[in-house]
Amino acid sequence: MLAYVIRRLLLMIPTLIGITFLVFMLFALSPGGIGAALRFSGGGGQSGQDARAQQAYLEDRYGLDDPAAVQYVRWLARISPIKFGNRDQRDPAGTIIRPPKPLKEPSLIGVLYGSRDQLVKPSPVVPAQLDDAPDQRNSAYRNAASNYQNERLDFIAAETDLRLALSTWGTTQGIRKVLNAKSKLDPSKLRGLKLPELVDGAVPITNVPQAIRDQGTAATSAYIDASRNVVQAYERAIAVHNEAQKARDHLANVYAGKPYPEVGFPIIPGALSVGPPDFGTSFSRSQPVLALIRTALPVTLLLNMIAVPLIYLIAIPSGILAATRAGSWFDVCSGAFYVALWSVPVVWAGTLLIGFVANERSGLGWFPVAGLHSPEADAMPFLPVWGQTNGFLLDTMLHICLPVACLVYAGFAVLSKQTRAAMLDNFNADYVRTAKAKGVSHKDVVMKHVFRNSLLPVITMFAAVFPAMLAGSVVVEKIFSVPGMGKLVLDGINLRDRELLLANTLMIATVNLLALLLADILYALADPRVTYD
Amino acid sequence: MANTATTPSTTSKAPTPKPIMRVDDLAVSFDNGRGPRIQAVDGVRMSVYPRQTLAVVGESGCGKSVTAMSSMQLVPRPPGRFDRGRILWTGSGGEVDLLTLNDRQMREIRGNDIAMIFQEPMTSLNPVYTVGDQILEAILLHQNVTAREAIDIAVQAMDDVGIPNPKARLRAYPHQFSGGMRQRVMIAMALACQPKLLLADEPTTALDVTIQAQILELLRELQQTRDMAVMLITHNLGVVAENADVVCVMYAGRVVEYANVFELFSNPMHPYTRGLFASIPKMRTRRDRLVTITEVTENPKEFEKLPGASEGVRPWWPWHTPPKDLKAAPGPAGDYFLQEVKPNHWVGVWRTAAVHDHESRAPDLTYRIVDDPEKIALRPKAEHLAQSVGGD
Repeated sequence: MLAYVIRRLLLMIPTLIGITFLVFMLFALSPGGIGAALRFSGGGGQSGQDARAQQAYLEDRYGLDDPAAVQYVRWLARISPIKFGNRDQRDPAGTIIRPPKPLKEPSLIGVLYGSRDQLVKPSPVVPAQLDDAPDQRNSAYRNAASNYQNERLDFIAAETDLRLALSTWGTTQGIRKVLNAKSKLDPSKLRGLKLPELVDGAVPITNVPQAIRDQGTAATSAYIDASRNVVQAYERAIAVHNEAQKARDHLANVYAGKPYPEVGFPIIPGALSVGPPDFGTSFSRSQPVLALIRTALPVTLLLNMIAVPLIYLIAIPSGILAATRAGSWFDVCSGAFYVALWSVPVVWAGTLLIGFVANERSGLGWFPVAGLHSPEADAMPFLPVWGQTNGFLLDTMLHICLPVACLVYAGFAVLSKQTRAAMLDNFNADYVRTAKAKGVSHKDVVMKHVFRNSLLPVITMFAAVFPAMLAGSVVVEKIFSVPGMGKLVLDGINLRDRELLLANTLMIATVNLLALLLADILYALADPRVTYD
Repeated sequence: MANTATTPSTTSKAPTPKPIMRVDDLAVSFDNGRGPRIQAVDGVRMSVYPRQTLAVVGESGCGKSVTAMSSMQLVPRPPGRFDRGRILWTGSGGEVDLLTLNDRQMREIRGNDIAMIFQEPMTSLNPVYTVGDQILEAILLHQNVTAREAIDIAVQAMDDVGIPNPKARLRAYPHQFSGGMRQRVMIAMALACQPKLLLADEPTTALDVTIQAQILELLRELQQTRDMAVMLITHNLGVVAENADVVCVMYAGRVVEYANVFELFSNPMHPYTRGLFASIPKMRTRRDRLVTITEVTENPKEFEKLPGASEGVRPWWPWHTPPKDLKAAPGPAGDYFLQEVKPNHWVGVWRTAAVHDHESRAPDLTYRIVDDPEKIALRPKAEHLAQSVGGD
């Protein structure tokens, strides 16, 4: 049994990788791509150039300018508890600090500009000697980091200029759309072209390709201007790049001096370590994903911990009763009633409940319309005070009544029908006849012999119901504005928040797989014929 | 040689023993949706005496199981219904009609006075409880003992039926036993409360021949040591020859022949019984195909061999149109009656003019092979008997 459980747990790893990969790729291929909200909503009030630079900076910071597959692998490396290379460090605020990424070269420098000689190469890392005082170490790292950040911002601005210049230059050559919609350079189009050689900072007419000279003077001078701009943009980009490279090297040295405590436990120092998974920071909310889940999950759990037992406590006894009185009015009526409930769409039911039960003006006004607490809930005592206040507990309970009702009502049908069918199957079993022949009373035959054998489908249902409720209350949470997991997932999808979505996917998939495993273990407990050895 | 086994019981018995259970004109029918009710059993009479084995023989659907289940009220009602008749049980509190008992009274009898074992040992035990739990359940229901004493009784019961290492096996689940062992568990469960009558509904049909022989031997042994009557339902004539004292042959819900085992095997009178015997393959005779029962029952001559045939006594047979001189008695099942055609040998006949006012006593045989020193020696050869008798 233990070996089986361990094997199942290990098998979860490739399954989870598969699930998250699939979700991530679908996400990356959807219109707008990863981090769409982040990239296209920023830059309010900035000039186009600044906005673009800002966007490019954020892309660079979150790695959004990398291909989707690279982003996925990087995410995987971050959440993996087994880490390769040097250990990460954690700053006093709890943020994971990683060594600076390598600086990118100016676009197409090797293809168009001819040589990389003027670029400063990254220097080998020499760990900086840092002060022992934590404050000093912290400020040393902060200074180096903000310095590098400024330099990199300059570089990204220069890079943006360079791309514009290249775009213009490409247009003079008759190439439309050198830049695509996301102002990404399309190198395949510029490949094969050569920048003219500058003579004393100017482009001699002899360096203009014959085809452009043939088009007339306007085209020729546009080409000459554009070419000069490109060359100048390259020169500036190289200058800024070199500054940034120096700042990066300095930051890398400071980082190598270990300004902060390292994370995890080393296995092979400098190569392999075990550390906690890092779920990253949500783009859209600028908060660690784990913190977001930590506030949302208890809400959903609260709803489901009430809803799921409620479903089971009502559906199973009524299924048993329906089976023992198969064909009676109770059997027929309860079956029809549950199926009718099951057929009501939750969107409609939720809206009706809000309109007729919760609304104070047109309905009964029995329950609050939305949210999890009243605005003044924080000031309330925990328990109600008669005639004065509902108290925090009762206030919360009143708020979750309607969401729980929406989660519960559709669940009766399947579970009670399953129970009923399984019980009826077992009523005709030979061992039931044996039990009767022993003189066992009808009640004991039903509860001891038949019900125990009818447990398997009920367990299967649990494995299906529980994870679905954890993720599937999206609609209910949206209708009632409950800040739970469903809402978090939905926001993650709407805002194309890579970290949030992947973390949620991972969590829900894990809960699903664990529920399946739990169901399998319960099978073995319920039915001694089931073993996993 | 048989004296040692018979002496104590004969001395303890009253001189004229009463049957422990008597089935009197039992009729059971089942609801058939929109069609007419299906008459599963119609006018069945039989009786079982203490320590006697009554074998009820017949093909599937002839009503033998329904008769047994009726005596425990295990026939599901509805769709089943007891149309008429009585099943008289002679217990410690005198004679009662089992069909009239309420659920609580019936539960007192089930598993306690009358126990039943079934055909399918594979499915007759509850798969999710240990065999110990299931045996203990029966003991604790009927006997006023503590759990610890009940365990001792269960261990003893399992030991009695030859389950090795019974104490440890109490904690085993049914699926951990082989088919034969499971049937032993069923028997241990049935016998744990020392029932006076055991209804064995085809107890060996699902088992292979070796195990079958072991189980039957075990049943015989337990019957002798426990002073218990057995109603053995089977369609295997070899089993009948080896085990039965009295045989009741049933067809289409009625008794067609009733006699002690030696009388029946040496002198079968109803064509159906003869057909049954004819269909058994015989050793050392070469035949391309077996004789079928219908070959015998479709031969009109077979129906004219009954004593009194010349006066118009005809064996009852549902596939025949009733004889012209039928003088059916008023009331249900009046066209048929169980005639004692010779002393202690009954055959189901049409109530023709020749016998229309004839009243013969209900089938009632106290015969037991163990009381018959001449015949008991034959028992080891009983199987051979099943093969040598019959045919033509």
